[in-house]
Amino acid sequence: MALSARGLTVPHIENRIRRLRFDADEMTQKDLADRVGVTRQTILAIENGKYAPTLDLAFRIARTFGVPLDEVFTFHDD
Amino acid sequence: MPCAEREALTGLITTLIVALLFIWRLSVLHDAGLFAGPEALQVWARSVLLLVAISLGIAIMVTILFHIGYEVVTGEKTDDRRDERDHLIERRALTWAWYLLSFGILGVIIDLALGATAFRAMNLILGLCAVSEIFKDGFKLWLYRRGA
Repeated sequence: MALSARGLTVPHIENRIRRLRFDADEMTQKDLADRVGVTRQTILAIENGKYAPTLDLAFRIARTFGVPLDEVFTFHDD
Repeated sequence: MPCAEREALTGLITTLIVALLFIWRLSVLHDAGLFAGPEALQVWARSVLLLVAISLGIAIMVTILFHIGYEVVTGEKTDDRRDERDHLIERRALTWAWYLLSFGILGVIIDLALGATAFRAMNLILGLCAVSEIFKDGFKLWLYRRGA
């Protein structure tokens, strides 16, 4: 369960980054990190659902894969 | 290991070394009776200022040695990049360290009101600074490890 609005685990937001990386010629986390200007550890934390990126970073990730934002991140209202 | 995480680790190591140095040096001076006279606070302040200068040297040395050692051992090239997650972790750690320091100083003021000496208060504040710094770097490392 999320303990605060930002920074802790974010179970309601899922992402398909791993799948999208695989589809994009098996792009590595490092490659993606370099393209969007963050560290590999941040990509890892996002993929594992342990960090919710800012809108700015979320859009940059989506743009890197050439897909709309909601194809990368989905929000589950449960 | 990202740059910011390495900095937290070197900060933690440095603070621990410096804290031990402070405890050792101030204990020696205390046992020698240098803090007994009416100018105790002045002697204490001069000693602390000298230790602060030495600490800066230690911090620089630890940082350089750790970075070189890390690159040699892991073979990873230093990546100085910082991103939004680093800034978030930094802010959260600083906030909690600041709370700790603030409540600690409040405790010292209460201690003073209850009759503690200024000398004891200054030592407690110095100790609090070290504890809050250790807490800040430790908390940052914990956030990095658990994936904040």
